[in-house]
Amino acid sequence: MKKLLRYSCLFLCLLTLGVALGVVAHAQTAAPAAAPAAAPAPPLAPADAQLKDAAGKAPATADLAKGDPGGIITGTINDVPAADSKAGVTLPDVANQVGQNKIAVNFVWTLVTGFLVMFMQAGFAMVESGLCRAKNANHTYMMNFFVYTCGLFSYWILGFAIQMGGAAGNGNLGGLNSLTGEHSLTLFGKTWGLFGSAGLLLSGHTYDVGVMVIFLFEMVFMDTALTIVTGACAERWKFLAFTISSIVMGAITYPLYGNWAWGGGWLAQLGTNVGLGKGYCDFAGSGVVHAVGGITALAVCLIVGPRIGKYNRDGSSNPILGHDVSAVLIGCFILAFGWFGFNPGSTLGASAAGNLRIGTIAVDTMLAGCTGTMGAILYMWSLKGKPDYSMSGNGLLAGLVAITAPSGFVSTAGACIIGLVAGVLVCLSCSFFENTLKVDDPVGAISVHGVNGLWGVLSIGLFADGTSNYGGSWNGVTGSVTGLFYGGDASQLVAQLVGVSTLIGVIFSLSLVINLAIEFLVGQRVSAETELAGLDIPEMGQLGYPEFVLTPVHAMSGD
Amino acid sequence: MAANKQQGSYLTLFWTGATALCAGLAYFTEGFGKLVLVLGLASVAISLVGFMKIKSMEGPTASVAGNATMKLLGLALALGGWFVTVAGLHITASNGGRLIFSLAGICVSLAGVLGVLPMAFGKSMAGKAEPSSFVTAKTSMEHSR
Repeated sequence: MKKLLRYSCLFLCLLTLGVALGVVAHAQTAAPAAAPAAAPAPPLAPADAQLKDAAGKAPATADLAKGDPGGIITGTINDVPAADSKAGVTLPDVANQVGQNKIAVNFVWTLVTGFLVMFMQAGFAMVESGLCRAKNANHTYMMNFFVYTCGLFSYWILGFAIQMGGAAGNGNLGGLNSLTGEHSLTLFGKTWGLFGSAGLLLSGHTYDVGVMVIFLFEMVFMDTALTIVTGACAERWKFLAFTISSIVMGAITYPLYGNWAWGGGWLAQLGTNVGLGKGYCDFAGSGVVHAVGGITALAVCLIVGPRIGKYNRDGSSNPILGHDVSAVLIGCFILAFGWFGFNPGSTLGASAAGNLRIGTIAVDTMLAGCTGTMGAILYMWSLKGKPDYSMSGNGLLAGLVAITAPSGFVSTAGACIIGLVAGVLVCLSCSFFENTLKVDDPVGAISVHGVNGLWGVLSIGLFADGTSNYGGSWNGVTGSVTGLFYGGDASQLVAQLVGVSTLIGVIFSLSLVINLAIEFLVGQRVSAETELAGLDIPEMGQLGYPEFVLTPVHAMSGD
Repeated sequence: MAANKQQGSYLTLFWTGATALCAGLAYFTEGFGKLVLVLGLASVAISLVGFMKIKSMEGPTASVAGNATMKLLGLALALGGWFVTVAGLHITASNGGRLIFSLAGICVSLAGVLGVLPMAFGKSMAGKAEPSSFVTAKTSMEHSR
């Protein structure tokens, strides 16, 4: 009875907080935008005369030689290259420079955010290893280290072509005009994109500056998905099987769904083909990256089975504690930092229509992470008696995973609600998978990335506030993405549900079949003897902590 | 068995073969492309046979064989759910109808993924259907504590 009361109190608290945030969200959208004061237009002089005048007034080389400590005279019309040096800088020269500047800004933005996402690999390595036992630390770190190589290489030779081989037309990055190899199927009079083919080994016409930028950015996203599986299957996954599974996932499974959602495939065409909202929307990859990773993790976990000692004969589970709190929590912060590349970077540019929304996207990202942590800590503290560190970290990550898809379409209040739900959901989901389904996931990757990835995808259909404007359309459908709670009809929600159904039905099945084949050919699990000894020596040849004396300890009950 | 030289050699062959296979696809229209493709396929095939050969050296694992029929049923449900969702898009044009079809499809898929497959792989019966190797390994671990 007491327990029921505590659950009810917590539920009411969360409900009140959710309702309050919801009211704020609507109040924000209801507030009328103040019209900007009209400025008087300056009288126009002929363009060439203005340019010549500007060239005459530009600082001379002698002035620049004195240095420019205030940054006032560096960067003038003299820095614009003239096609004809005798004629000087003309209007077409300036226009070309403006165009190149726009693309340059977008290239730099996309590359730098891609570098941030790449650094998330370090965070994943720390989180996953910290949550495993010391006897498997080297093995877990090495999986996270090597998955980068496996994924990158397989994506270069095949994956990128499947995912983005038909994704021409991105104006932010100069058009990507050589990516025109989408293979389609015509069904019921409509054309549905299935997979791309241009860009195998980045050869031929895809040896192009814009293609290189999108390759790097998409590659680091793909690697994030791959590294999710290593955490869920840690402490018993054979290194050889992990390598082959990662190569195949980076080459086939991930790129397929990536094509359907981001490469001009059939999910993105749901809006134009069957009138479902703006088609399937996934701004930065709750579905494409996290749910694909989490769902594949579930498929491999089912095949690999639970760790020895995880479950008793009566079916009850034993806690198996991680060995390094500092690695886990510092790793979570590294991931949160990298997420500023993940979400704002997904605009694929900072200089184009609507791309200045990057500020909102960044704030949405940090707020969802904040409320995710809050939800998980309050849930664990209220119901289990302690603010558990692993669930706190998972709460942060769950909030970030959930906001990844909607970050480009929701308000700050919407982001708070999405993160809060994710924080509680991850606690419930971890318990469900561990105690009800008996799926042993040492780091909670299935719940953090799989379950909350799906929640993130769904939340667009509910919370998208209709204020985003990325060039006036999304997936070829004019207008802004609008969810059910903000005056949109149910069609966007249905498009999101089709995406969820595809993840659970098709991507899970594909992952399961591929990994069953690997189980048949290679064997997925290490021997019981290796597992008991710890994987560091048998699989890696060296202990992660050679000078430590390892003694198993048991968890303390919160009650 | 743990990691060993044979695994490393076959993995090198697998990776080289996969790369050649993709290079062959990329340059398929040119004469040498087809040759590289065939060489790549052959290398991948040889490496897979090699993996199978050394698999038995691993020793007994703690995994459960599971029920093949139930695995197939779980897979069929997972995929079947997706067909229900997609079929709904063509059966009805109303948002409400499509919403119902989508939810129904997801429920069918979930029944396969979360209901049937965990049982098929033997996890829900962890306490009742442990193979002897699992029990032995666990017991020895309990002793070591």
